[in-house]
Order: sequence, then C-alpha cells, then structure tokens
Amino acid sequence: MTTFLAAVLTATAPVVLAALGGLLCSVSGVFNMALEGQLLWGAFTAVLFSHLTGSAWLGVAGAVLCTTLYALLLSVPAVTFRADPVVVAVGTNLLALGLTAFLMRQIFGSGGTFSSPELAGLPTLAALGLDAPVAGSQSPLVPVAFLLVAAAAWWLGHARSGLRLRGIGQHAEAAESIGLRVPLYRHAAVLGAGALCGLGGAQLALGNVTLFSEGMSAGRGWVAVVAVMLAGSRPWLGLAACLLFGAAEALGFRLQGLGLPQQAADAAPYLITLLALVVVAAARRKEAPV
Amino acid sequence: MSSPEPRARAVARLIAGTPAVVSLVGALLLTTLVMLAVGVDPGLAYPALLRGAFMDGNLEYTLAAYVPTLGMAVAFAIPFRAGEFNLGGDGQLALGGITAAALALSTGGAGSFVLPLIGAALAGALLAALSAPLHTRLGIPAIVSTLLLSVPAVSLASYLARFPLAEQGTGLAQTPLLPLAAHLPSLGASTYVTIGLPLVAVLTVLWLLADARTVPGYEIRALGANREFARYGGVRVSRLTALTLAAGGAFGGLVGGLIVLGAPYRFVDGALTAPGYTFTAIAAVLLAAGRPLAVPVTVALLTILQAGGQGMEREAGVPSQLTQIVQGLIIVIVAVAAVAKARPSRRPA
Amino acid sequence: MSVPAVELVGITKRFGDVTANDGVDLAVERGEVHAVVGENGAGKSTLMSILYGLHPPDAGHVLRAGTRLRLRSPADAIAHGLGMVHQRFRLFPGLSVAENVVLGAEPMRRGVLDRAAARRSVADLAERYGLDVDPGARIGDLPVGTRQRVEILKALYRRAEVLILDEPTAVLTPGEAAGLFRMVRELAAEGVSVLLVTHKLDEVLAAGDRVTVLRGGRVTGRFPTAGTSADDLVRAMIGRSLATAPTTAKKPPATTGALPTAKKPPATTGVPPTAKKPPAIAGGAPYRLEVRDLRVRDRDGVAAVGGVSFSVRPGEIVGIAGVAGSGQRELVDVMTGLRRAHSGTVLLDGRPVGGARDRRVAYVPGDRAGRATAPDMSLADNLLMGDQRGFLLGPGRVRGRAAALVERFSIRAASVRAPIAQLSGGNAQKAVLARELSRDTPVLVVEEPTQGVDVGAQEQIHALLAAARDAGRAVLLQSSELSELRALADRVLVMFEGRLTADLPVAEATDERLGAAMTGATGVRRPAGESTE
Repeated sequence: MTTFLAAVLTATAPVVLAALGGLLCSVSGVFNMALEGQLLWGAFTAVLFSHLTGSAWLGVAGAVLCTTLYALLLSVPAVTFRADPVVVAVGTNLLALGLTAFLMRQIFGSGGTFSSPELAGLPTLAALGLDAPVAGSQSPLVPVAFLLVAAAAWWLGHARSGLRLRGIGQHAEAAESIGLRVPLYRHAAVLGAGALCGLGGAQLALGNVTLFSEGMSAGRGWVAVVAVMLAGSRPWLGLAACLLFGAAEALGFRLQGLGLPQQAADAAPYLITLLALVVVAAARRKEAPV
Repeated sequence: MSSPEPRARAVARLIAGTPAVVSLVGALLLTTLVMLAVGVDPGLAYPALLRGAFMDGNLEYTLAAYVPTLGMAVAFAIPFRAGEFNLGGDGQLALGGITAAALALSTGGAGSFVLPLIGAALAGALLAALSAPLHTRLGIPAIVSTLLLSVPAVSLASYLARFPLAEQGTGLAQTPLLPLAAHLPSLGASTYVTIGLPLVAVLTVLWLLADARTVPGYEIRALGANREFARYGGVRVSRLTALTLAAGGAFGGLVGGLIVLGAPYRFVDGALTAPGYTFTAIAAVLLAAGRPLAVPVTVALLTILQAGGQGMEREAGVPSQLTQIVQGLIIVIVAVAAVAKARPSRRPA
Repeated sequence: MSVPAVELVGITKRFGDVTANDGVDLAVERGEVHAVVGENGAGKSTLMSILYGLHPPDAGHVLRAGTRLRLRSPADAIAHGLGMVHQRFRLFPGLSVAENVVLGAEPMRRGVLDRAAARRSVADLAERYGLDVDPGARIGDLPVGTRQRVEILKALYRRAEVLILDEPTAVLTPGEAAGLFRMVRELAAEGVSVLLVTHKLDEVLAAGDRVTVLRGGRVTGRFPTAGTSADDLVRAMIGRSLATAPTTAKKPPATTGALPTAKKPPATTGVPPTAKKPPAIAGGAPYRLEVRDLRVRDRDGVAAVGGVSFSVRPGEIVGIAGVAGSGQRELVDVMTGLRRAHSGTVLLDGRPVGGARDRRVAYVPGDRAGRATAPDMSLADNLLMGDQRGFLLGPGRVRGRAAALVERFSIRAASVRAPIAQLSGGNAQKAVLARELSRDTPVLVVEEPTQGVDVGAQEQIHALLAAARDAGRAVLLQSSELSELRALADRVLVMFEGRLTADLPVAEATDERLGAAMTGATGVRRPAGESTE
C-alpha cells in the first residue's frame, strides 16, 4: 500500500505543477492549453542543464528559467497581440515536440531516449535525511508541489495581487477602469505557469526517472488542462483531479504487472480523466437546468 | 457595383492573403535562425530540402505523403469551419486503419478495398462523433475531448495489432499481409501513389463545393461565426456539430484505411501516427486562414517541407524534426497575423 | 467663478477616418452638475473616455484645478480625483460588494488584505450617503439598481471629486432615477463636480446646472438650465427645430415623473404619422398570439418568468416595459421558440410555439452582435439566415436576394460581400429588420429596436414597425425607452420580477403608472391567470 501511495504521489506531482500554472492563467482570464509542450520543454531543459553542470538542482533552475522564457511564446502573442490562445498553444505544443527532438539529436547525438551515468537525478527525501513511509522515496519537488497548491489557495484568497488577479479574470474592462494594468497581470500568470511547468518537467525527467525521451510529457499537460477545467478557480479541487489521474496512472502501472496489456495502462488515465470530466459536467448541468 | 468593385475586391484578397505569406516568410526566417544557431549551413540545408522533396525519385514519396496530409487537413477543417477543434486525428487514423485491416483480413481474398475503406471511415466518424454530445450537452470543448479520446483509440489499435490481429510467429507489432484483392490499385508504375490520390482529391473538391454552395455548408459557417446567431436562425446546432465532427472523423478514418491498404499492405503499429500527418494538416489549415480554397495549396507547401526534411537529414545531417519546428512557428505566427489583420477594422464605440 | 474643477481644452480625437471629437472645450465648476447631451455618435462617450484616461486625445489637454494633467490610464485619472460610472457596469460578478469597492485601493494589514477594514469602510460610506447596500453580498446576486450604487461607492471610496455618470438612468426605473438625482444634488452640495452624460433632456433640465451639447463631435451649444427649454437643446443636438424633429429627439419629457421640474411634453411629439391611427384589424379579431400562464426557470432554478398571461391581436402592437432583468428576455426567448418554458403555453393561431426557433415568428433581437448577426460574415450571408432552405445554394442567388433587400429597405452598405460589422449601427439594424420583415410571418417580436441607432434610422425603423402592424401582424415590442413604447404601442405591459404588474392602454400609460408597476406596485390591472409565486 505504501508503495502504491508513493507511486500515486510521484505520478501526480508533475501534473499538479502544470495544473497549478494553468489554474493561475485561467483565474486571470487566459485559457492556457500550452501546458503539454511546456512540460516537455521543461523536462528537456532540466536534463540538458543537469547534464551540462552535473548538478540536478542547476538542472531544475535551468528548466524553470528556460520554460519561463518559453512561455513568452504564449504570453506575447496571446496577451500583447490578443491572438487566440488556443491556436497559439497548438503551435507551441507542436514546436516543443519538434524542438526537443531536434535539439536532442544536435546536442546528444541520438534520438529516442537519452540517459547517461553523468546525468544527475534529484535526490530522494530519504537521502536528504527525511525518511518517512510514503514520502521517503520522493524527490524534494513532490512536497514542494503540494505546498505550492496550498500557497496558491491562500494567495488567491488573501493577498492583494491574488484578489486583483481574480478580478481581472472576471471582468478585464472593469479592472482596467480602476487602473489595473491587465496585461501585466496576465503576462505574470502565463510566465508563472511556465515556471511551474519547468518545475513539473524537471520532476518528470530528474525526479520520476533520470532520463529524457521524446514526447515524455505523454499527455500530462492535457490532463492538467482538464484538471483546470474541473477546478474552476479552486486550487484544492484541481489537486483532487490531479490525484485521481495519478492514482489511475499508478493503478494502470500496477495492473500491467499483473498481466494487463500495456495499452490498457496507457489508455486508463485518459479515459478516467474524461470520465471525471463527464461526471462533473453532468452534475453541474443537473444543478443548473437551463 | 461597377468598376471600382473588382479592384476593391482584388485589394481585399491581397490583404487577406498576407497572414499566410507573413507566416510562411516569418517561419522560414526563424528556421534559418535556428539552423544558424545550431551550426547548420542554410545554403546546404535548403537545397537539400528541395532535392529531398522533388529530385532523385523523391517526388513519388512527396505525392504519396500529400494524400494523407490533405485528407487529415479536411478532417480538421470541416469541424473547424463550425468552430470545433478536432485534435483527435491520430486516434481516428489508427482506428480507421485497424478497422480496414480487420475487415480486409476477415473477408479474405474475396473482398475488395471498398468495404474496408467504408468501415475505416465509419470507425473514424463514430469516434469523432462521441465528442459532439460532450460539447453540446455537457459543455466539454471538443478540443479536449477529441484529444482525450485519441490516445485510448491509438492504444486500442495498437493492442489489436499486437495481440488478436498480430501476425503469428514474427513477434512484430503488425498484422499479416492483407489479401491481394484489398490492395489499393497503384497509379501508373508507382508503388506508393495509389487511387487514394484521386479519391481524396475528389472528396476534397466535394467538401469545397459543399462549403461554398450548399445550405449545410452555409449553416456550418454560420455556426462557426456565431453559435447563438445560428441557433437564432433555426440551425439545429447539436445535430450540425455532430455532423461536422463525424464528417471530419470519417476523413481521418478513411486516411487510416488508405494508408493500411497501400504499401506495405498491412497495419504496422505506430506507422500511421509517426509521420505526424495530423499536426502537419492542422498547421496547413490554420495557415489557410479561413479560406478553404487555399487548403490544398498550404497542404502542398507543408508536405514539401515535411518530405524535404527527410532529404535534408540524409544530405545535410539536419534532423528532420526541423520541419516540426517550422510548423509550430507557422501556427504561432498565423495566430498573431490573423488578429493584426483584423484589428484596424475595429474601433472603440 | 474660481478655477474650474476640471477643464477639457481643445480635445480632438480620431478613430480612422472618423473624427469623434473635434476641438471640444468643456469646463466644470466645483460642486456643479454639468450635463453633456447629444445623439448617439455625437462624441459624448469618447470625450468622457479621454477625461478618464481610457483614450489619449490626438490634440488638446485636460486641466484639473488649473493644473495640466497627463492621463495615460484610468489609474492616472483616479489619482487625480476623477471617478466614472460606466453605462455598462464594470463590476466583478463573482466578488463581494466590499471587494469590488476596494479592489485597486485595498486596505492592507501586515501585507495581507484587511477584509474587515474593507467591509467597515464600505458600510460607513454607504450609510453616509444613504445607499442601501450589503457589503458582503456577491455582485452577481444583486439587482441592477444596487449594482449602480456599488459603482458610485467605488468612485466615492477613491475620494472622487469629479464624478462622471454615463447614461446612468438607462437601467433604472423612474423612481430609482429620482433617487439617483437626489443623491447627485447631495454630492454636488458637498463640492463634488458631476458630469452627467445622457440623451434624456428632461433629466438634464431637472438635475443639471449647465448643459453642453455635442453634435458630430463638436460643441453646438452651451446653456444654463435655468431659462432653457427642451426645444433649445434639441435644436443644438440635431440642428433642426422640434416641429420637424424625429421621435426620440423629443422624448415626451415626462419619463422621470418624480422629477420636480419636468416640463409638460410639447403637444405633437415626433411620432410617425401612422403611429396613432386606430388599429386596422385589432378590434374584434380573434387573438393571434396567446400566452397562458407561462413559467420559465433560469439557471439557478429561480422563476425568471412566473406565470405570465396575455394576448395579442392581429394589427396590434403590444409593448413590454420593465427594468432590465425583469424576465423580458426569457419571455421573448420562449415566444420565439429559442427556450423551453417550464410550464404554460404560447399559442400562435391556436398552435403551440416551441422546440426550435419557430418560423412563424419574425424576431429582431436586442443583442445585435451576439444573436441577431454574425459580425464577421458578409451582409449577404447575414441577410440569408432563417431563409436557407433545400440543399443547393447558389452564391449568385444569395447575393441577388441581398441586393434586393438592400435596395428595398435602403440599407447603406458598400457591398453585400463585406462583413456586416462594417455597417453603422442603424444600417445593421435595418438589415436585421429587412431580413425578418421579408418573411411574411403573422407575428413579429422586437427587442430594443432603436438602441445604438442614429436618429434618422430610428425614424425609419419606427415607420417599418408601424407598417408591419398596419399589415395585420401581431407585434410584440420590448423596449426600455418608455417614449418609444408610447409612440408605437397600443397597449403596454409592465414586467417586474417575472410577473406582469400592469396592462395599460397606451392612453393610460403615464410615467407615474408605468414607474409604479416597474417597481412592483401591482393593482393597476391584474391580468387574469397571474398569480404570485
């Protein structure tokens, strides 16, 4: 049971980080569907910097920095030029796929999967002297992910900038008319989401495993988008949705060990996510008949 | 109504053409920068790209790649005209492909390619149509549901190809060779260009005609332009949404069938989705910027880029993923160019 | 007088080829209520946007108490003591009243939002100005009149010394409007300068001290209200005198009955010549449209329409009045087939209306960009909607049909292929009317037919509606302009909280009676079948 719970937390952490970023954007009134590509870019840059510097923590820092910069590709077109964020996101997701595969061949000289003994992964909490049943096997970024959810929930409710961000998302013109600089807040939200995806990507490539493989975000960014749709502006609800996904992934992995085909394990998280979306949407419909 | 109008129209068309031109030029410029940044000589890479697309017998491959890309472009474009994003092309391809393979195998040598193709289109249509009630009844955007349904569909096809339908004794993730009667007839001496080319071309023309000159085409455009306006005008929104998604899915499934019934005449796991037809097609449709007639042209451009990318990899050692980078950049620039064009006409009230 | 509290000097603003403001000068004294009037498109809103820092002027500048300001954003305007209540409220629907008021200037304690202080100061302010508002209520749950009070509180909380009110009475009942103006006078007495932007002349003369009239972006008149008549203002507004003026220019001045100085309406108002003709067929003809005990629940399950019954005869225009959000929209949705009723029926010539859009009902929606048109589609495509039949659709036929309608309804458009968004408000509205009238339907439902439409087009639209009535159609006309209802309708129904609170022949539909019914005072005449929920 403890290994299962640990697997759930491991599977959940990157999705939680991406979903939290998506939630901040959604609260500010920007629909961020670029999470998938940003997670992938975060994973790649984390491996790249870890490999270059030999330090997992510099890998994390590099991923956060590079993915924040990458998020400019969404924030500038969508916020400054008011382009359709959905179309831009389709583009940046594709770009991330191509760019990581391209740079991988250029820099590491091979496609597919890159892993090397010189690649430093994140230490476990146990290795840092914090051994506990479920948590010991996790990287330090896992508790960070959950703490960030709590921090975001508090911030949206109690900080001045959090209140303003919520206002901007509800009625941008109203925010403008009381002198708030709407684009500034939105840029911050989108770039913040980029930073969180960088962190999530780093956890994916240096925490969950210690390697990079093409397309390794494997739909987690899309699950995060769904989690945001489920959560509305309530971070705790988003966390619950991510945990559901993490449980599905961990369960699928475990059932695979019991003889279930790998394809079923691959499909399970998507089907369960979609099912959750359907159930919640149907319940909301019932609550509010037209 | 007299002489100034044609000129005004010509100017309008010119301006309407700019986002595509701007995007293409912008993307090529950025690509060149990427090349320079990673130390590739663009003077070598671009000629290699063109040779890879047209010379040394490569034209046949380019033409063969044009067919599925055009089909997937229509698969995305039909729902897109109604305001729906069909990002589930990979799932529709895979499900269509495995359905065609299963039907061809089960009918044995007696069947022809017709039934498998119809089955493939139906499978794709059913999968895509699932997203319609999710949107119209539950408010779940098609862009999310098509994508979430796509991965399980690809997994299902992969499972079928590896286990129940797998070629025995080889251990490869593929079906046995399909019976000869189900193979698509080739065009001329070519191995890879089949009657799929005229078939997809004719279907694309039919779509273009339907879009411009029929009542459903008009209603679909109205739905995409303003959903509430269409509802107000008596358009049956839910039914039409389902119809466009199903039609798009049918194209996706059909393309899957065409690939499987062409060389190497079997369903090979991953072979349908690996070339990235779905997203190349999406980039092409977005590049066409709302003008359906431009779709065949933008598809041709991006197919050349895609096919040429292989040649570039062989000759200049540039990873072919560069073309994916270009496509991603094109989409981003198109999105910006589209609003930049629209902006001057809107003024504050 | 002393230095003006605020002064606009030589303001010029262009949007593309359109000059919205052309060298406008305007000075407002401390403690003065200064009205700015003009038709739609005269440049009032642009001028106020410039004053509030939303647009930079192309030329000219703003002085505040004699000092030149650089207004780059509303933040600058707020910092200099300017406050604005927009016609369309700028409130955050999911936040509380207190949060809405303090947002942007939040009280803080140790780096954290001080919610208690926010509530306290909002409650204090509300009490001081006699505004009945609960600081903890969520904006989305509040009626329109209360939301306006929150907007005013927002400005007062920021210590606004110059308050801009943009068409403040558009959403209010006559009674509420009277209350607003009492408060405006109170604020003025405290030294606040109020800029009152409106097109209702009776309000100007009742509540203002001075008036500036705009036409085509220029100042065409400056008057003290004392000794000025509505006729003087109209002449400056439209460049003609009242006798030949079209309808809306000379609203019968009594719209806000509670105002003490409202003048008697001039004898002949700008009603189209056909408007007061006795209905051609109405008399004893059978009802064409019958609504029986209709109930509609909105998303929260609250009754948006709670038991409404009435009937319309052929050749009759029945008007619907009421404060925005009283259930009119839901009622119209059911009558056009766009929404299902919870219970009750709508019968058209004895057969029920329902399911999808009913083709027997022509319908001109009030939401032009959201429902009545697809702004990015061509004029021809917009004119087709509702008439698309069969399967094949020749582009030539579509354009030919459009050209014929453009000709017949004298719509001014560069080309039927151009997007309808390029048409002026009046021409777009004429296009919608053309489309709906071109189908020979027994019933016509119209919402706010002249909103955002210039005076010339208003006249034509009123004539078209009167003609439809004379042709024997049953017409239902929903409007928030009481003058429009009085000019066109044979009977006026009033809705309040989803119920009918009055059903008056137009001759009895005075401002006092309509106003009372709009605030829920029943007993004017309780229509049969009406019950309370």
